[in-house]
Amino acid sequence: MLDASPPRKKLVEVKNLKMYFPIHTGLLRRHTGDVKAVDDISFDIYEGETLGLVGESGCGKSTAGRALIRLYELTSGSVTIDGVDIATLSAEQLRLKRPTMQMVFQDPQASLNPRMTVSAIIGEPLDEHTTLTKAEKLARIYELMDAVGLNRNFANRYPHAFSGGQRQRIGIARALALNPKFIVCDEPIAALDVSIQAQVVNLLEDLQEKFGLTYLFISHDLSMVRHIADRVAVMYLGQIMELSARDALYADPLHPYAKALLSAVPEPDPAKAARARIILQGDVPSPANPPKGCNFCTRCPQVIPVCREVQPALTEVAPGRFVACHLVQPTALTAGPTGGTEAKEHNQQGATR
Amino acid sequence: MTQTLRLPAPLLAARNIVTFLLRQPTSAFGVIVLAALILTALFAPLIAPHDPYVQNLNNVLQPPGNGHPFGTDELGRDIFSRLVWGARITLTIIFLVTIVVGPIGMIVGTVSGYFGGKVDMVMMRVTDIFLSFPSLILSLAFVAALGPSLNNAIIAIGLTAWPPIARLARAETMTFRNADYIAAARLQGTSPLRIIVKSIMPMCLPSVVIRLTLNMATVILTAAGLGFLGLGAQPPLPEWGAMIATGRRYMIDSWWLVTFPGLSILCVSLAFNLLGDGLRDALDPKQMNRR
Repeated sequence: MLDASPPRKKLVEVKNLKMYFPIHTGLLRRHTGDVKAVDDISFDIYEGETLGLVGESGCGKSTAGRALIRLYELTSGSVTIDGVDIATLSAEQLRLKRPTMQMVFQDPQASLNPRMTVSAIIGEPLDEHTTLTKAEKLARIYELMDAVGLNRNFANRYPHAFSGGQRQRIGIARALALNPKFIVCDEPIAALDVSIQAQVVNLLEDLQEKFGLTYLFISHDLSMVRHIADRVAVMYLGQIMELSARDALYADPLHPYAKALLSAVPEPDPAKAARARIILQGDVPSPANPPKGCNFCTRCPQVIPVCREVQPALTEVAPGRFVACHLVQPTALTAGPTGGTEAKEHNQQGATR
Repeated sequence: MTQTLRLPAPLLAARNIVTFLLRQPTSAFGVIVLAALILTALFAPLIAPHDPYVQNLNNVLQPPGNGHPFGTDELGRDIFSRLVWGARITLTIIFLVTIVVGPIGMIVGTVSGYFGGKVDMVMMRVTDIFLSFPSLILSLAFVAALGPSLNNAIIAIGLTAWPPIARLARAETMTFRNADYIAAARLQGTSPLRIIVKSIMPMCLPSVVIRLTLNMATVILTAAGLGFLGLGAQPPLPEWGAMIATGRRYMIDSWWLVTFPGLSILCVSLAFNLLGDGLRDALDPKQMNRR
């Protein structure tokens, strides 16, 4: 599961993904601006890995996750999943492609239809995509319930009769029903008690091993991401600031924002607790009106004049480490210009190796 | 609670709602009056002591009593029997209006709310046009255009009663549209039609049923109003509104001609209002525990 073998297949390739939500104002509802929830991000996810996506509230993590499986119509960019660019598929082609990608939602209460029984919820995707007989479908539902650790006897109960952790298991079973390859986990543990969080994360890990799943794990819980992810992307205001292998990122974050974010993780060992906390000043700018230049320039403790003018591109500065910052120059690699123009030319990680 | 919600028991759930309704005096009144109305309509031939159409000109404008519990009208017909048979007409109006208005309002509202954008714009502007006229005036216009008869009155009422339902269904839909379980259904590749029918309509159903029930009082009054104006049921049909209209001329001397049909209309529309209020509580998910 760890990043061991060198040539791995890319399952998901995201290129220049933009997700803008238009703002209409005035009597004529004229289009006067955009909320740039996700502003030009690119990354790959390799088969069988878990990519963690972290960032503070409102930075666009969930939007990115949802746009990735086309729950929203993308503003621009492409998302290639398993060899097919799903951003441009027609409705019917997309429908046939749906089983490949699934999602586990944040709020297990809101993601289950309160008027459907557990077996109906888990069986819904089967109705849509398979022609199983009633008995076969029930067998499959039981199999899925076993896989996620739910008692078969509960199949005819309604979601409100379950605890948060059990509901999340129902959500996971539904996501697994069509044998997906790629699952977006949108803060699947944020709404759960700490003791249950561990159970659900362990379940996700077991299922990954068993079914060879690939995860995009969106979370603001940095410790949990450290536990489950192979690589981690740090987002700020709709853009990826740093994307590195987990251990490298947690040991030595390169981007000033990643440093500040990771310094905020609570340290359980009091002996080590006296570390320097980087406390950022000010608030996150509005995504409807991001600053010129680097999105982080308004709060960056190390800001230099060029940051306010030119937007840094996400560049590979060391093997497997991508950073979008003028201060972090490529070391080991002879990569392209770090800043340069405002061209949105992002190097693709993995392309050079 | 789990017991009442078991899947194979919609009947069980219905029984629970009825027991809930009977527990409060106001909604119990609604249930009892409506049950009485339905039974009366069903067994009208057995209950009515006289034929509602047979005239007896030797026996006109008799006060209540003496074989005619509610007296006789200007043509000597037994008012009680006419009221009993009139229950059938009232129920027919309610039933037909409901099966026309409920589905139309529901479809327009859910489609408009789910798709949003231009679809919503067009459908809601049409709804606005209907809403911008007082419903009685609009029904009058429709009946005047279609010609006065009971069926045309029903059509006219149906055409004017759906917009509030559509508005309601749309508002409900918009609160569910972005729920995660709808996103989950879309993620499975479920078509919009199927999402609307399978996920959204069941969620809208309780509030639409409540609204329809509350609407029934208006429907009865509109039907009676149209009958009163001579645009609804035509003589000699024993429609309650029409009975008041003809009785109006004899009102000073023979109070029973208008009083009993008037009381019937009052009772039934009050019963629907109280039942609607009761249903609002009964179908409220927060009240489930009290059942």
